[in-house]
Amino acid sequence: MIEVKAISKSFKRRGKKRKGRFESEPATVGSVVHALTDVTFTAEKGMILGLLGPNGAGKTTLLRILSTALNPTTGTATFDGIDITQNPLEVRRRIGFLSDNTGLYGRLTAREMIEYFARLHGIENHKLKRRIDELIDLLAMREFIDKRNDTLSSGMKQKVSIARTLVHDPDVIMVDEPTTGLDVAAADAILQFIDSCRTKGKTILFSTHHMHEVDRLCDNVVMLRQGRLCFTGTPKQMLAHTGQTHLDKAFLTLAEAVG
Amino acid sequence: MFLMPTIIVPVLMNVLVGFTMHMEKKARTETLRYAIFGEEYLPELGEVFEKEQGFEKVNISSPNDINTAIASEEIRFAIVIPETSRQQLEESNQVTIRLYYNNATVASMASTRAAKAIRVISDQLRNERLTKLGFDNKQSRNNLLNPVTIEEHGTANMREILGERLGGMLPYLFIIFSFMGAMYTAIDIGAGEKERGTLETLLLAPVPRCQIVLGKFLVLFTTGVTSALLCLTSIGLILSTKGKEVTGAMQEVLRSIGVIDFVLVGAMLIPTAAIFASLLLCISIYARSCREAGFYCTPLNMVVIVPVVIAMLPGIELNWITALLPVMNISLAIKELLKGTMDYLILAVILGSTFIIAGVLLAFTTWWFGREAVLFRE
Repeated sequence: MIEVKAISKSFKRRGKKRKGRFESEPATVGSVVHALTDVTFTAEKGMILGLLGPNGAGKTTLLRILSTALNPTTGTATFDGIDITQNPLEVRRRIGFLSDNTGLYGRLTAREMIEYFARLHGIENHKLKRRIDELIDLLAMREFIDKRNDTLSSGMKQKVSIARTLVHDPDVIMVDEPTTGLDVAAADAILQFIDSCRTKGKTILFSTHHMHEVDRLCDNVVMLRQGRLCFTGTPKQMLAHTGQTHLDKAFLTLAEAVG
Repeated sequence: MFLMPTIIVPVLMNVLVGFTMHMEKKARTETLRYAIFGEEYLPELGEVFEKEQGFEKVNISSPNDINTAIASEEIRFAIVIPETSRQQLEESNQVTIRLYYNNATVASMASTRAAKAIRVISDQLRNERLTKLGFDNKQSRNNLLNPVTIEEHGTANMREILGERLGGMLPYLFIIFSFMGAMYTAIDIGAGEKERGTLETLLLAPVPRCQIVLGKFLVLFTTGVTSALLCLTSIGLILSTKGKEVTGAMQEVLRSIGVIDFVLVGAMLIPTAAIFASLLLCISIYARSCREAGFYCTPLNMVVIVPVVIAMLPGIELNWITALLPVMNISLAIKELLKGTMDYLILAVILGSTFIIAGVLLAFTTWWFGREAVLFRE
């Protein structure tokens, strides 16, 4: 279970103040940007939690904090009771992070890439080959497993990225707009993969802009606006709360709401 | 990284030295075409040019065509002897012979070789005049012409002289290689990782950030130090093989540069490469893209080159002040080692201070790498 407790994050502004910022972007006081303010929610085990919000609302910052890449200014979060600020290494052992940017080393083969991250996660040699074979079969990667990453198609790269995310069998998977730039078939494969993770009892934090993906996958959603939580509940509750019949409209209503 | 110091630089050095020697030999031995006007007024001079090897007389119509003939390389030089030459000589006056040549051609020895031939006649005529005055032997003439002479006694041995000249160039190569060897790798493993998105995935691995920094630092340190040591080794091999071909004082000089000297030069390049590795990693991890990192590396390159170039300037010596100036001290110390005049107490201070700077910079890099404003700079 993930418990996010009153997380806030502020940055010092650097350089000149930009004009024409989105209304949805975080509040700025003097030279300090409040990217997140007092964000609190929970995600139960085996749940897909949709993380919604317009551009600049703080979704990526929140995911970076939960994945321990950034430290919160105040507040904290726990993964099955393990605090992200107290024990970040232990948290990293339990999470897998998948984004639209596949983040692959082009000069490594798909197999070398997966092996490299398996070793970073401390997987022992005798377990390594079996685990990689499992992932190759799970994601149908056999035909390109020994090809260099920079020669692979977008869909193949995303599969390697998924294998890298899953190689240490994490309890929590964070997914940041994973279908961006993929064709329909590749995007569908990703969504099927996310769905299959739920059936295996994994907790999934799923950041997306596509409401049909939310409708298809999410058990619960949290929505951010200007760095603050503006809604938390199920997709149906989101419709009821906004009085809309489609999630796209409900999203826009929440994104444009004042206050 | 491996090709440059092991093959390209030695090959370039061999080609450069070979080409320079070939050009010098050509300039000394090539046949120079020349024109002479007024030869009838001083026929002895014409005879000298005919006797000397390497000159070929060419007839051109008028002295007005000299410039055109030299520009078109029909001739390399021309001599114009004035009509009054014989009369001037008989009256014991001075004759001025005009020598025309292309003085924009630096490598040409045309004027030197022509002047040398003219001096033969000048010396001959001077000796005739001195004989008439009663100075009929070489010693008495020399005493008349040079009442006071200087006998120079340079205290430096050949190794010092050669070390002073070569010793500026070699540290430049070693230091630049330890910097350039790490630069492109640094751009790739810092800004390149950011650009590709692999840095963020790496940061999410259950590995402490100091270990990631140390890993990246070791890669850069290894490439920098390997590059510099390969350059040092290849130059050492060139000196040891070419040293067998040369003879005399030069052979003594090359033999006197021992393995210990090269080991000490290598020892100084180790902390230097560590300093560069830390600086390059800081810059690269700060940059948002490879292009930006390259943009920042250019001024750093200048910061590295300038002290090395200053160390090459005449009059810049290793002392307790220059020993405390990073990079310049390494350059000067390498020079002193090659000259064989190293003060080993200063060497120890330089090594110690460079290791301390390298350590401080590595600690700074670790702190720098932990800053969110650097890693996630937008």
